[in-house]
Amino acid sequence: MTLTDRRVREAFIELTDTLVTDFDIIDFLQRLAVRCTELLGVSACGVLLADHHGVLNLVAASTEQARLLELSQLQNADGPCLDAYRTGKPVQCADLGAADAPWPVFDAAARTAGFAAVQALPMRLRDHVLGALNLFSTAPGPIDADTVSLGQALADAATIGIVHQRSLARSEVVAEQLQAALNSRIIIEQAKGFLAERLALDVDDAFAVLRRYARDHNRKLTDLAADIISGRVDLASPPAPKPHPSR
Amino acid sequence: MRVEQPRSARVWTAVGECARREGVPVSLRHVVVTCAGALEGIGAGLSLLRDSSPPEPVLASGQAAEALEELQFTLGQGPGLDAAAGRGPVLADDLAGPGAQRLWPAFAPAAADRGVRGMFAFPVAAGAALIGVLDVYRSQPGPLTADELAQGLVFADVALVLILDERGGITASLDGSAYAAIGAHRVQVHQATGMVAAQLGLSMSDALAALRAYAYVDGRSLADLAADVLARRVRLGVGERGRSCDLTDPDGPAAGEMRDDGNDSPKPGAQPGGRDGEETRG
Repeated sequence: MTLTDRRVREAFIELTDTLVTDFDIIDFLQRLAVRCTELLGVSACGVLLADHHGVLNLVAASTEQARLLELSQLQNADGPCLDAYRTGKPVQCADLGAADAPWPVFDAAARTAGFAAVQALPMRLRDHVLGALNLFSTAPGPIDADTVSLGQALADAATIGIVHQRSLARSEVVAEQLQAALNSRIIIEQAKGFLAERLALDVDDAFAVLRRYARDHNRKLTDLAADIISGRVDLASPPAPKPHPSR
Repeated sequence: MRVEQPRSARVWTAVGECARREGVPVSLRHVVVTCAGALEGIGAGLSLLRDSSPPEPVLASGQAAEALEELQFTLGQGPGLDAAAGRGPVLADDLAGPGAQRLWPAFAPAAADRGVRGMFAFPVAAGAALIGVLDVYRSQPGPLTADELAQGLVFADVALVLILDERGGITASLDGSAYAAIGAHRVQVHQATGMVAAQLGLSMSDALAALRAYAYVDGRSLADLAADVLARRVRLGVGERGRSCDLTDPDGPAAGEMRDDGNDSPKPGAQPGGRDGEETRG
């Protein structure tokens, strides 16, 4: 078994191992984004899920550039992920600089962010599309078929992971899980703004502080965000939230 | 593959029509009544959280629902109370079944005795801004369809918007776009809500209400205002509720002036821990 094979196998095990008590869907999807970039040899990955209004929401991204690009895609309601979600089929653009660019605004934003090619994969459960996965590449050219297949397999594994294997029969469980994910996302955004004010930072820097604190204290991001909003955790009070490197 | 987008519009339209038939402005009662009908329930009820106590029944579509809301409140258990304590909807598709009887040993049999077999509780919330629960009651056991479930969530969002705008002292617009104000995709709105909450010492729901009111009074979109708040070009100092707002004086009038009705938020500068848990148990 090659190193890649082993890592792929480990990723699948990780993505379907969601029946643990401390499962946090945001952490889970963030891991999905990171694993996809590692295993598929792409530059960045974003994960979007649809809410009950039928609107896509960004839930995870492997890099800051990918996060901003996904947000602009959502804002303009145009881009590969939206097409993959609407059609339930993979969508590819091998050259975002081409003249017949399918999504003019997205293409320009993607190139500004340094990306040259994109692949969007639907996250499907039977005939229901839950969301989509975006793979970004800094090198132009089609993402090869094997990589696309592996990416789709990872997306499928993650979809099953989200809804929990044991409860596949119950559509309401899918909605409950999605709802939890989207609500977690809102809490985290609210905490970012709250912390930005308390620490006199911009929201992205505040998020970095939040993430670092969660990692250093082994906390789930959503739980920490809720604690910050409620005042149970105060990162503004001394001692400053500087994790000591030696710890 | 699936029908998207129209669901929100459908729900808003149905609520608006219910009010128009009565020839009165849209109110929360129309949301509750329309929701009960759309989900084929025998009734629906709305409970609101005040301070950190359990949600209190405030509105029901009819007597049956009102009795059940009171029952849940009196017994201190039920799907609605769990929805207020958790992060998502609580869906009880058979109150006579063993699962429900174990979870709510007093409430479930009592509700089943009254002919209620299905109960579906939707948090009225945006992230940590949790302000109430919308309960729908059905006489038959069985789960909601995926579309019914999604509709229930949209009804809860409509209730949220109406409650927030009432708090902010503005008339809710039924322009069909109001729902867009609170989805998870409005990242900047949620960030700005957190920032305003920290600036003014408000709860998340009051901060969101203040933002919506400010945007409304200023005649601009919530998204625009949120961007300005995040860039610190605008700082909400609130003179009176729903009005506003001193853009030049960073200290502004005392935010405590906003509190005039025993609402749930701490004063600015409240100590951590002194803040009530109302909005964050989710």
